[in-house]
Amino acid sequence: MIRFDYLEPATLSEAFSLLEQHGDNARVIAGGTSLIIWMRQRLLMPKVVIGLGRIPEFDTITFDRQEGLRIGAGARHRDIELSPAVKQHYPLLHETFRKVAQPRIRNMGTIGGNLAGGDPLTDPGASLIALDAGLTLASSNATRTVSVEDFFVDYYQTALEPGELLTEIRVPPPQRPGWSHIKFTPRSIEDFATVGVAMTLRGKAGSCEDVRLALNSVASTIVRAKRAEAVLRGQRLSDDLLRKAGEIAATEVDPMDDNRGSADYKRDLVKVLVRRAAEQAIQRLS
Amino acid sequence: MKKTIRVTVNGRLYEEDVEPRILLSHFLRETIGLTGTHVGCVVGECGACSVLLDDKLIKSCLHFAVQADGCSVTTIEGLAKDGQLSVIQEAFVKHYALQCGYCTPGMVMASHALLRDHPQPTEDEIRKALGGNLCMCTGYVQIVEAVKDAAKGSTHV
Repeated sequence: MIRFDYLEPATLSEAFSLLEQHGDNARVIAGGTSLIIWMRQRLLMPKVVIGLGRIPEFDTITFDRQEGLRIGAGARHRDIELSPAVKQHYPLLHETFRKVAQPRIRNMGTIGGNLAGGDPLTDPGASLIALDAGLTLASSNATRTVSVEDFFVDYYQTALEPGELLTEIRVPPPQRPGWSHIKFTPRSIEDFATVGVAMTLRGKAGSCEDVRLALNSVASTIVRAKRAEAVLRGQRLSDDLLRKAGEIAATEVDPMDDNRGSADYKRDLVKVLVRRAAEQAIQRLS
Repeated sequence: MKKTIRVTVNGRLYEEDVEPRILLSHFLRETIGLTGTHVGCVVGECGACSVLLDDKLIKSCLHFAVQADGCSVTTIEGLAKDGQLSVIQEAFVKHYALQCGYCTPGMVMASHALLRDHPQPTEDEIRKALGGNLCMCTGYVQIVEAVKDAAKGSTHV
């Protein structure tokens, strides 16, 4: 492991001043499940590591019917999985976090670290896009909000500017009661997804009023499949239409050949899994 | 720059000066000499290094020792009481749930955390809880059998 200095701010504002002071030389650590691996691989070689583990209330999860869900960036995957409010009001999130890696990684990794890592293979981002979630990005002198969809820029690249931290995830009150999360893994349950699909849907009597669809592991970022959504939105739902949505979604992704499958295979999976996700979401409406 | 950390391991308080780059797994093995925690892949894949940190099951190779300042750790050495193996450890012996033994500390710690929270798990729950522990010898069958048996035979682990 490379040598570095370790600093542990006691407050968020102290964290911002440390970030300002050390600039590009610094990286923040929360759960450590990504950063430590990247440091071991020498992909990142920070001179200073800033530990966020002691910042008070950085892992708080609260729910309000008007405001929706607020998740502190330091909340661990397991905290979200086991949160009664999440389980009751956001079954899609409960299901998603139940499937992130395996329990001991969920005990360590945080939602903030997951999103800020910008890794397109991970699950939470797709479900958060399907729920139209927003992120609070803060620095010592400003706070702004970005949608999760716009947050992902490229492989491991996000909208975070130097000196900024992702501090909170905000999920609007539940609006589309139909939902589905499908994680297709190459071998065992804790693998990264070959293809991941997250969908939320609102409608009645066999028609779709609104839908949001996002996919992970199929492009350089987690992507929202807007054209496939447009195929479904405002339409009467039929088997043909769901099949068409899958086919259109497959044109909105740009997967790579890797040890989880070939690009063609993943594209075929997108066709099938988007159709199945829509079927599940419709079923859950009733 | 070294930092002084205070960590309680298996009930005993250790105060040590460590470099920030020392992983918790290496702190346990090399700084305080508890070599029961094994280090396999060192990238969070194999699970051999699993310990309880403030009662939560974690992989100690994905954690810097300095982050554990003020925390309490339970390692495989902390499970036996007064020279008596825990029910899970006994069940692993009885069911031949190990061959080379490399993955065993992690398997036992994961089983311990599972049975503490879910004393009567289904086979599916056992397999999910052991996810993240790789074993190259057993094919996992005896390990799952051992955990089932430990769950049957114990009111506590």
